[in-house]
Amino acid sequence: MAEATRALPLGTGHRTRHARVAPLFLAPALIVLALLLAYPVLYSIWLSLTDASLSAGQLDTPFSGLDNYRQLIGDKSVSAALLNTLYFTVVEVIGVVVLGLLTALLLNHPMASWSGFRVFLLLPWAIAPVANAVLWKWIYHSNYGILNSLLLQLGLIDQNVTWLGDPFRALNMVLLVDIWKSTPFIAILFLAALQNIPKTLYRAARVDGASTFEAFRFITLPSLNTAIAIAVILQTIWSLRVFDLIFVLTKGGPADGTVVMNFLAYRVTFNFLKFGYGAALANVIFLASLLLSIIYVRLMNPGAPRGR
Amino acid sequence: MAASQSILGRAGIVLALVVFVFAATGPIVWLLLSSVLQQQALTSIPPDLSPSSFTLANYLEVFSSAAQLGRAIINSLIVATFTTALAIILGAPAAYALARLEIKHAGTILLMVLAAQMFPAIVIAIPLFITASKLGLIDTKLLLILVYLSFNLPIVIWVLRGFFMGLPLGLERAARVDGASPLQTFLRIVLPISLPSLFAAAIFAFIEAWNEFFFALIMTRQTAQTVPLAISAFAGQYQTMFGQMMAAAAISVAPIILLTILLRNTILRGFADGMLKG
Amino acid sequence: MNRLPFLDRRSLIKTAASGAAAALVLPSLSRPSWADETALSVFSPLPPDPAPPGAAKFSEEAFAAWQKANSAKVTYDMVAWPQLHDKMATAFASGEHVWDVVYMSGWVPELAKFLVPFAKNLPKELIDDLPKSSFSTVTWDGQSSGVVFTLSLLTLFYNTELLQKAGFTAPPKTWDELKNVAKECTRDGNYGWVLNYGDPAGIGGTASYWMCFLQQAGGKLYNEDGSPAFNSDAGILALQMMMDLMPYSDPGSISYVGINDATNVMTAGKAAMMMNWPFMWKPANDPASSKIVGKLAGALLPAGPAGSASIDGTDAWTITKTSKNPELATKLIEFYLDKDVQKRQAIDTGWLPIRLSVLSDPDVQKALPNAAVVLEQANHPYDSYVTPDYNEVTVALGTEINKALAGKSSAKDAIAEAANLVAAIVKKRG
Repeated sequence: MAEATRALPLGTGHRTRHARVAPLFLAPALIVLALLLAYPVLYSIWLSLTDASLSAGQLDTPFSGLDNYRQLIGDKSVSAALLNTLYFTVVEVIGVVVLGLLTALLLNHPMASWSGFRVFLLLPWAIAPVANAVLWKWIYHSNYGILNSLLLQLGLIDQNVTWLGDPFRALNMVLLVDIWKSTPFIAILFLAALQNIPKTLYRAARVDGASTFEAFRFITLPSLNTAIAIAVILQTIWSLRVFDLIFVLTKGGPADGTVVMNFLAYRVTFNFLKFGYGAALANVIFLASLLLSIIYVRLMNPGAPRGR
Repeated sequence: MAASQSILGRAGIVLALVVFVFAATGPIVWLLLSSVLQQQALTSIPPDLSPSSFTLANYLEVFSSAAQLGRAIINSLIVATFTTALAIILGAPAAYALARLEIKHAGTILLMVLAAQMFPAIVIAIPLFITASKLGLIDTKLLLILVYLSFNLPIVIWVLRGFFMGLPLGLERAARVDGASPLQTFLRIVLPISLPSLFAAAIFAFIEAWNEFFFALIMTRQTAQTVPLAISAFAGQYQTMFGQMMAAAAISVAPIILLTILLRNTILRGFADGMLKG
Repeated sequence: MNRLPFLDRRSLIKTAASGAAAALVLPSLSRPSWADETALSVFSPLPPDPAPPGAAKFSEEAFAAWQKANSAKVTYDMVAWPQLHDKMATAFASGEHVWDVVYMSGWVPELAKFLVPFAKNLPKELIDDLPKSSFSTVTWDGQSSGVVFTLSLLTLFYNTELLQKAGFTAPPKTWDELKNVAKECTRDGNYGWVLNYGDPAGIGGTASYWMCFLQQAGGKLYNEDGSPAFNSDAGILALQMMMDLMPYSDPGSISYVGINDATNVMTAGKAAMMMNWPFMWKPANDPASSKIVGKLAGALLPAGPAGSASIDGTDAWTITKTSKNPELATKLIEFYLDKDVQKRQAIDTGWLPIRLSVLSDPDVQKALPNAAVVLEQANHPYDSYVTPDYNEVTVALGTEINKALAGKSSAKDAIAEAANLVAAIVKKRG
């Protein structure tokens, strides 16, 4: 389908002019991206093979081969961060996809056709992650935060809980915040996909005597297959990038309970100034993201030409 | 789905909608509310919401504090505007080329552009920080404007490409028959009718740049500080001046919320362009 | 037919206009600061952490007069204390010139190569008026790159009223007494102990608090050869002591990132005891923000098996190598250490002076009764164990300690693990 709408049907003269001019359209953007993305990635790979140190703008890069990666494997803080990242990502993806689907189903209902609902959905997506983090820091405050206030009033707890005081609980509270912020985008994705399902399918099913649940299971879900797969991949990639939230809410604490790979790479590089090791950590994250991105593109473009 | 709607079913939907609205907007409303409440009101249990507790003092304090919020706002505005403009100028032709013109290896290029959107910032931040240090560009708005292109450009390309691919071929075909070059077709015919999508792409890029924290954290010190950094400075302080913390956050959040509400249709359409036209 | 659409008049004018606009705006986008010969930039913590005149509210007239007399304009870049180290570390790494004078606390060995060893240029009468030991934490490789400006040791602060209610007329003098008092004071919604364990790193972080207890137990951090010496009974006892206090501590302690959060709990009257720096006297006796005016008292830190001990705040001023005006910067620091300024620093902000003559000034001693306590504390060990990798070491140590405090590890295991981590860090120090 991509082929048919892409190229304009033209005569031979046009095509040659076409071919000459097209790269000019593309080149400036590609050059910028190459400088800002491709070059740093290569640089980062090289950095990770050195024991780089930056001092007063001078970079020292004594070669150290795979030392950084060997250290990475044995480093307990890395394995702890990997575990946290795995937990965080899996739970967030499941949470966001399920909640996103439920929200999309809700907003797809005829009773929810008011456009205002979609605007409400956009709000968590639009606000800055830093502002969001600061807000939830206030909500989670153990003495005056509204969460404790509400739960105390409802009688669900009998004394204030220090939400960010325990390592595992803090990780879950951070998860909650990010799920809240990430669900809207995925919900909109699902909503669009839902609205693409022909209503006739549902009508036919009704005529055949199918219940709402059966309609969901045999029509809705299969049609959402691709969308769900896309949502899973996208959200996984985004879960790997969480930073602002952790920086403001917990700074990795308590007791490194909320240190994920991304945050660890930042701390190693910009707090301890170990640029080579930090680059190695960053490359690991990058590799994971790259693999996921490739899967994503294959999902979106099953018949796309692989180069030519 | 109209015929068999039981009362219970309808009530369930209404309940679900109420929960949804509360969950989606509750925290944000609380943010805005807290920013205009006095410290005593916020530290009472439960929070004191009587009319006498409301005040604008938090905003006044926040502006006169050491975090230089005024300068941060100007910096954020300048950086977001220029990086968005650059992203559009560079990205629109690229998106058009990928949508309409024959490009060799278009598939691979597309893959790269898409993958670019997903880079974890840390992997490019370290080399860019080193390079910028050597060039003496640290703590400048110019650096941020350029670095932000790393995520804004792919966003713009992706959204606009989706839109361009959805345009009916007729207009462009007619222009070609009249002898117009691809550039002329693009500038004279395609761009003018793409304004809504251009606008949507610009809004996305602006919001991303306005909200960006990580690059700003490591690449700026004082002069080029942006609003997200100022907010984090507040959160790093006492952590007991809650109203001020919320006021600082509100300064970043309120304009974006306004933007989102006013331009909701454009934004939603931008989502559609970016998401569905794979 | 128009072959080149962008050469028609309107497009040309538009391009020229945007080019001109860009030419006007772009320079302002890239020029990071104004080039003024006598501008001095100072990087300082936010009050109530130690801050100089102009940043904190004292000696403002003298400060304005100094600037006028020296044709200088001093600007302050102030951030919350927990953010200081990371901001300056990246700034030094990138080599940009941001500040002339920088506040340091335990980071001089780490960042010495970016600092000017100006201490030898200070006037003799000033150097003679400073305690000799104050230079030990700002000297590295034989060069003194900073000067400490406040005598800052951790001491015990307690709420006399809360202690009395629990039946105590005197502060605890030993570890056992401390635990007992904390236990008895934990009632009616109040707690016996509060502190900030949220940030493991640096002086004033969890690791540094443990170092007080370590020294009180007779232990030390490093051996002669630099390897960790704390995986010992002393180290484990010290951590166990902190863990034993947890049931009687404000549960928010583990999430308080800065000392100010813990201080606020005490000044709200919700905790009976804490360790704090000398400045605490001021906010606790400020009726505008404190509920415990007149009820605060100071005492020596309770003695462990080896007696009392504390740590040194090492708050110092340094000058960056990138500064274009090191002489003027030195003069500014001399101003901060001027006798009158030091006196006002003490009386108005609570941060004790470092000058011996000002410490013994009767006005200062009257305004700050806890100064005597600090002086007495200085008779006991107060090593902060500052090394170039202090930040990394305290992050590793402090994180393990926090795990134990959160109940996720035993004292023995935490100390053992911490020793391994620190050994690895030290090995790389070479």
